[in-house]
Amino acid sequence: MSGYLESVLVLLAINTVLAYAAFLPMVAGQLNLGVAAFVAIGAYSAGYLSNSFGLHPVPAALAGSAVAGTIGWLVAFPILRTRGIYLALATFALNQVVQGIILNLDVVGGASGYPVPAHIGFPVVAAFSLAVMVLVFLVFRTRFGISVTAVSDDERAADLMGLSVRGLQSAAFTAGAALAGLAGALYAHHFNYIEAQNYGVLFSIYIVLYVLLGGTQTVVGPLLGAAVFTLLPELLRGSAAWRYVIFACLIIAIMSLRPQGVILRRSWFSR
Amino acid sequence: MVLEIRNLSKSFGGLKVIDDLSFGVERGERLALIGPNGAGKTTVFNLITGVYPADSGRIFLEQNDITDLPSRYRIRRGLARTFQNIRLMAHLTVIENVMVAQYARAPGLAAMLQPVGFGRANRWRAEARAALAEAGLEAYAGEPAGALPYGIQKRVELVRALLAAPRVLLLDEPAAGLNPAETEALHQALEAIARRGVTLVVVEHDMQFVGRLCPRVVALNFGCKIAECATGEIHADARVREAYLGSEELA
Amino acid sequence: MLEQQIVNGLMLGSVYALVAVAFTFAIGVLNFLNFSIPGLFMVAGMLTWFLLRAGIPWPIAALLAIASGGLLSLVVERFTYRLMSRSEHFVPLVTSMAFLILFENLVLVAWGSDLQRVPLPFETVSWRLGSTVIAVPQLIGLACAVLAVASLDLLLKKTKTGRGLRTIAEDPETAAMLGVDVGRVVPVVFLAGGLFTALSGFLFAINYQQASPFMGEEIALKGISAMVVGGMGNIWGAILGGLLIGAVETFAIQGFGARAVDICVYGLLLAILFVRPTGLLGGVIRQQRL
Repeated sequence: MSGYLESVLVLLAINTVLAYAAFLPMVAGQLNLGVAAFVAIGAYSAGYLSNSFGLHPVPAALAGSAVAGTIGWLVAFPILRTRGIYLALATFALNQVVQGIILNLDVVGGASGYPVPAHIGFPVVAAFSLAVMVLVFLVFRTRFGISVTAVSDDERAADLMGLSVRGLQSAAFTAGAALAGLAGALYAHHFNYIEAQNYGVLFSIYIVLYVLLGGTQTVVGPLLGAAVFTLLPELLRGSAAWRYVIFACLIIAIMSLRPQGVILRRSWFSR
Repeated sequence: MVLEIRNLSKSFGGLKVIDDLSFGVERGERLALIGPNGAGKTTVFNLITGVYPADSGRIFLEQNDITDLPSRYRIRRGLARTFQNIRLMAHLTVIENVMVAQYARAPGLAAMLQPVGFGRANRWRAEARAALAEAGLEAYAGEPAGALPYGIQKRVELVRALLAAPRVLLLDEPAAGLNPAETEALHQALEAIARRGVTLVVVEHDMQFVGRLCPRVVALNFGCKIAECATGEIHADARVREAYLGSEELA
Repeated sequence: MLEQQIVNGLMLGSVYALVAVAFTFAIGVLNFLNFSIPGLFMVAGMLTWFLLRAGIPWPIAALLAIASGGLLSLVVERFTYRLMSRSEHFVPLVTSMAFLILFENLVLVAWGSDLQRVPLPFETVSWRLGSTVIAVPQLIGLACAVLAVASLDLLLKKTKTGRGLRTIAEDPETAAMLGVDVGRVVPVVFLAGGLFTALSGFLFAINYQQASPFMGEEIALKGISAMVVGGMGNIWGAILGGLLIGAVETFAIQGFGARAVDICVYGLLLAILFVRPTGLLGGVIRQQRL
């Protein structure tokens, strides 16, 4: 496989994991603008572990994911006391604060970037990505999918129907954080270099947008969004900035015409 | 008594909306809760189900004190309800909506992760489909709930409440907005549910409907109980007449 | 030195204040978090650089830059609020985010990613107050911010349009039925926001003599923090919040270095959201939904 094709596929695999990282909180009704922060946490902690302790990159990636998930779980306590727009703003603020903290951590390079020599090749990245897809697919065939949607639609009624609103919201937020961390760790170990400057709120926005492009009503939607976002630039040559111009126009068009996203759903379970 | 409230009081701001309210419901009974608008009937339901905590008083479900029990556990103890303004999940289909309530019968992490979405043979799905069929709603099973007509949504809400296998069912204005045919169908459905041993507490304005379904009635006004008697005698109660200002409702 | 720091903080704060007013006006009236605003700030700043570099006289450059904000904001309105009533409630927010990305990348395509130095066509006049230096253009910026909010206040309280806006804020569903010409009134929110933001971008470019395609992200985005700190939907709160954030930033740089700024400014936002979400002056936002 040519190096070029391989790097495109790696990006697709990682963007897919990122898509699901944003998707899980979104199904629970949370607009998580802090996704990028958890990507950074996963990338930097995994990189630190493999750099400083010689940990093999695969367990390092899992550890990075666990760190991101744990921090997500802790942060969820205060954050999930907010709702709607306040929640979105809180995750936005969180993102910028985390990015700011990392920029100050000279032990991981601070503003100069952080090289992570230990390498994870395409097959392993692809395997992780596939595993995530299968996991999400399975989880949404359980009660979890309808339960988080119920919480998102009508919290009060969901609570009175016996669901643990806080528990479900926290689970979605934490799982999203863990997946984001995994994506970050994989990126760090494949491209072997990460820069804190890349993990600002705009990165979160890109991810949220391409998830909404595919639609949050099916498990396949985020995958489609990630595919369009990754492959569109390859299909249209031109500078990176032009690709994003077109992507932005696409989003604006979709939101005008079909805001539920490209793939519509009737149900989590088919009849 | 399967459900009992004692000296229940609740204030919002400075306003006392429920004032030292006490009444009880026997197992298998059908009790109506009536009163003019603003009397506090829905608030009583909200207190019983735990939407907000009471300021004082106790609530007993099957002789267990549930006053301090968090709301999400009450349905697991057999207390289900329907809502005055329908509260179905707009983004779930009808069958998914009713399946949400099944969790109350088997809560826990393992139950949450049960693969109910696989295959038609899954027993929870089958049970939900059967319940919908019994209510004549199986054709709507795959429809998103938000788009359905009002009357259908009301029936779906009832099925949802039933799938929690409640021992006590609180119905908040179940006949509101229904035409005569739908009201009759509702009456039949509730009769059947009561015959199965479910205790019913019904908030209603439609006194004809109440008269046919509920032998006993508790009347409220301004958060206080103003009468408690057999439905046939309620017309004679002076305070109830006064509360309704002699309106047609008691004719 | 402290006085100089305070002055610097206030001057920077007036930049944030204008942007915060744009944000807060949209939130207060339309319950709409308009993420395209930092994009408008950036376009105005970059346009200022481009026009001044091309030798355009600065009053014309100012006019064009500010007008660009107004024009682009109306385009944004066409694709966001116009569609709000239709379907999912997140559509306007998401579309505004797309516009931010659109504006930033269009500018990147046009002018590259470099930080540009803005040539000043006039000598900066400064006043000295003891040992404190106050640059006059910055003072003008502060005056503009206060004037903008005062006139907005007047608009809201004394004019028919203002009454319409307040009706929409209270009761969006029935505003049309109550006689408000929604189609004419809503664009005012966007226009005002766009003009204020563009003015802020122009003033920033003039006062700090720099512009970059990332100045929206780096600077104007902090206007959100200012908005929340002051109280969402409260236009005087936006001024207060802006000045406060300006002060926080200036003192953060002094005390901890430039890299600590984001932590302080956004840490404050986070703290306010947890502890007192209505902000210092009390926000007037009606609904929490996105």
